[in-house]
Amino acid sequence: MLKEREENTCLFSEEHVKLIKEQYEDWFDNNLREADRELSDKYFTQSGIPIKLIYTPADIEDVRYSEDIGFSGLPPYLRGVYPNMYRGRLFTLRQLAGLGAPEDCNERVRYLLDHGATGVNILFDLPTIRGYNSDDPEAEGNVGQCGAAVDSIWDIDAFFEGIDLGAVSSSVVTHLPSTSLVIPGMYFAVAEQRGTALTQLAGTCQNDFIMETCVGSGYEILPPAVSFRMQCDVVEWICKNVPRWNPISYNGYNLREAGTDAVTEVGIAIANAIATSEELIKRGMSFDEFGPRMSFFWDLHNDFFEEVAKCRASRKVWYKIAKERFGAQNTKSMLMRYHVQTAGQTLPATEPLNNIARSAIQGLAAVFGGCQSLHLDSFDEAYSAPTEEAALVSLRSQQIIQAETGVVNTVDPLAGSYYVEYLTDEMVKRIFNYVEKIEGLGGLLSAVEGGWLHREIANYNNEYQKKIESGEMKIVGVNFMEADQADVAPIKVFEYPETFSRQKAKLERLRKERNDQKLKESMDILREKCHTDENLYPYCLDAVKNLSTLGEIEEIFREEYGLWAFPLL
Amino acid sequence: MDRKIKVVIAKLGLDIHWRGVYLVAQYLKEAGMDVVYLGNKFPAEIVEAAIEEDADVVGLSSLCGNHLALGPMVVDMLKEKGLNNVKVFLGGVIPLDHAKRLEGIYGIHRVYLPETPMQTIVDEISESVRDAA
Amino acid sequence: MQSIDQLIEGSLKGEKLSTSRLISLVERGNKHAPYVLEKIFPHSGEAYYIGVTGPPGAGKSTAVDRLIARLCKNNFSVGVIAVDPSSPFTGGALLGDRVRMHVKHDKMDVFIRSMGSDRVMGGLSRTTKEASRILDASGKQVIIVETVGVGQSELDIAEATDTVIVILTPESGDSIQIMKAGLMEIADIFVVNKADRPGAKDISLSIQGMLDRSLRKRDWTPPIFLTTASLNKGIDELYEGIWSHSRYLQQDSMLEKRRRTQFKLELRNRIESEFSHILWQDIIEEKNIDNLVQEIWARKIDPQNAARRIMGELIEELPGWLQRGG
Repeated sequence: MLKEREENTCLFSEEHVKLIKEQYEDWFDNNLREADRELSDKYFTQSGIPIKLIYTPADIEDVRYSEDIGFSGLPPYLRGVYPNMYRGRLFTLRQLAGLGAPEDCNERVRYLLDHGATGVNILFDLPTIRGYNSDDPEAEGNVGQCGAAVDSIWDIDAFFEGIDLGAVSSSVVTHLPSTSLVIPGMYFAVAEQRGTALTQLAGTCQNDFIMETCVGSGYEILPPAVSFRMQCDVVEWICKNVPRWNPISYNGYNLREAGTDAVTEVGIAIANAIATSEELIKRGMSFDEFGPRMSFFWDLHNDFFEEVAKCRASRKVWYKIAKERFGAQNTKSMLMRYHVQTAGQTLPATEPLNNIARSAIQGLAAVFGGCQSLHLDSFDEAYSAPTEEAALVSLRSQQIIQAETGVVNTVDPLAGSYYVEYLTDEMVKRIFNYVEKIEGLGGLLSAVEGGWLHREIANYNNEYQKKIESGEMKIVGVNFMEADQADVAPIKVFEYPETFSRQKAKLERLRKERNDQKLKESMDILREKCHTDENLYPYCLDAVKNLSTLGEIEEIFREEYGLWAFPLL
Repeated sequence: MDRKIKVVIAKLGLDIHWRGVYLVAQYLKEAGMDVVYLGNKFPAEIVEAAIEEDADVVGLSSLCGNHLALGPMVVDMLKEKGLNNVKVFLGGVIPLDHAKRLEGIYGIHRVYLPETPMQTIVDEISESVRDAA
Repeated sequence: MQSIDQLIEGSLKGEKLSTSRLISLVERGNKHAPYVLEKIFPHSGEAYYIGVTGPPGAGKSTAVDRLIARLCKNNFSVGVIAVDPSSPFTGGALLGDRVRMHVKHDKMDVFIRSMGSDRVMGGLSRTTKEASRILDASGKQVIIVETVGVGQSELDIAEATDTVIVILTPESGDSIQIMKAGLMEIADIFVVNKADRPGAKDISLSIQGMLDRSLRKRDWTPPIFLTTASLNKGIDELYEGIWSHSRYLQQDSMLEKRRRTQFKLELRNRIESEFSHILWQDIIEEKNIDNLVQEIWARKIDPQNAARRIMGELIEELPGWLQRGG
């Protein structure tokens, strides 16, 4: 603990601030052109915070260094969760893998690991994300597109063939709680079969009911209350059984990509973390049992300084909630750890090579924000999951930030900037207000059930589009310095037309080889347990070990819980 | 003929990106059209809806690579059912060469890539119906 | 393009595309619409008409979807007209009911048509009636008309159907809201949907209370069903409830009386609208109205007496006007 001081610890003395204010008035009146004075309040950050022409100590007169900013590795963790930050440990370079059949992905994963990636994000195709088997009629046209097809434990085995699961950190991008009950379980079962203990496994699954119900959702999905319960089941079971695994990643990213702003992105994710914590405490866990394993997922968007401020602010907000609201004792429960991905939304299809610059700048902001784990989107983002060439460029961009720019050599280098500190403080306030607003609606679950969040997203999306069409928001090559259409570079897109037949053949073999009796028993129990309060995880795990397919388990959920109608229309 | 244009609009298959298609639907509505919004549907259901609604236009959205598999199916099934007058529009994340093929041999009336202004979509749909009348 | 007669013939045989195009003709007030209705009407009257209404977000289309499935299971063919509000500014509409409707067309005989509330020439009630008659004549045995219960449309639905289902939810608000919306008077059946949410019991009690206090003498007391349509809960009971209302109407030719009353009302409305059409198109000249407005503006006459004066002149002139052949 640091030594405490009794007196006022504001950054600047009252008299000094008073003087600066007077000087500011003088400067404003006597040194600026008419036009600058008129426009002085017409600039806004992406989330609508007015931007002044210039910031001074007067804008952060209430900010106290020790309480509000402090040191890295100490409360309120604004400057970073570790004392030595990147000198101690560089951020993880995460790259996406997942296209076609699991066997194809295996090649890609090895390629990335060989080139210095330290973690792997596994993406799935849509049928997998939504819980359908590759040979389901619903899956038509989507098998192996935009991600890997996974139907059973065999596919996870093939995906990680020859890779030591005890040595790699895997982010299993399941999105939905219902599939997070199943796919990470397949991973755990494969590890056990290979003799790797669950306690050795490191990784993350995404598991976010906001994704299932509001963001990446189809029109009929499991009801929010069911999805939320599953989300909590996953967290509870994994915390107790796979201690190094992050069982949840509150996904601000996709919500932001949906066109919302930085405050909404963080506010909703934190509201979800609060709701989850309350539920788990109700189930008899203590906050410190699961707090250290909560992780978050941010979108690093275009507004450079606001994004840096967002990252810094989010750590402080979470610290306060963990400490003050949930009485966290364990320091690790108070640390907001998050993964950052740059904003795919900002990467147009027009003149795709420009996207290398965009991603690199966003990546730099993420590092200024103090992330622990980073993924840069590839320049071909608008077309498909990344090609090998594009994936390598984004990996290299991250390595350039780490090795060449020097920004990792000191902690939180933008601290003390009047503007950045002002924005950070403002973000903290706005995030808290947003969380409060959601609680006023009866909590996040009610807000989702009533369609509030869907309307919020649709409105933001509408506004975003209008800003682009009106030219208020400039996109180089698209509505600003427009590209000549003829210059659009054709980009090679990966296609795996044979994935469907490969998966289909595998499923046929699986259905022949598995023990129908044992499978039926585990499926019957799972079906029965759907209507109890018991944690569903062990029953899903059992079904998976008996070679149930993902689609079969999800079908049980769909039958037992029914489908929920999209509340927007 | 000054009458309301009726558009049947759907996301193809399992696709999960609802916002783009919803945005397009809103713009078409604001342009005075009746927009029948299907949510996620497969070609057979989309065509059935086009019949029952007597649609002038079918709009499809695909952001996840099923456009080549499912898009042309809609066109073919519409013809099969005698709806030769119905124009099919498709928007989404689609490689340039695929877009050309879809507009060419596969008979999609127009393919819209990302960054197409909404107003372009509204205008071209209106024109296509006016031309057909 | 097929001729109108071919479309009529096709539709009566149950061809979907023909039926669909006939509905478009009446929706648009096409000049052939009267001919179509003339030919179709004798073939209608066999179907049973169900109205479904309630506030936005009550889960009407989900409930209708489950009812369709239930009806098809019992081998009924079903026609659905789903009405959503149009934008008062642009006239456009976002019609989203089909999102929640899942019809397996190879196994179910169902025809769904969406309509924007202002699509219609001559009022919602007229177009839904005409469209449902076309569906009826095309062989659908049950017709479901679904509208959002805000304003006039729920009263229209009572004039067009045999059994009216009013769907509410625990969030539908206090009893006064329901009273205001005029839903109490028209309901033959109440449904409290989303009954798994808190407050479901309260709202069904308050509906019950209102029914008990109602001064209207009833032979039929509207039952209240609790459903969770999304989970298919309570749908069987609702389904039975519809048929028990239908059986009730079979007694003492009550269905016949109800439909005769509806025809009478429709006839009156049609006469009124035809008359006002003639009145404004052929009889009253715009400049006379403008002259009167001038007098009103000058405070020489008040609007009521101005109207009386013009009606008086009209009645005097009418015989001559009719003699001239109108």
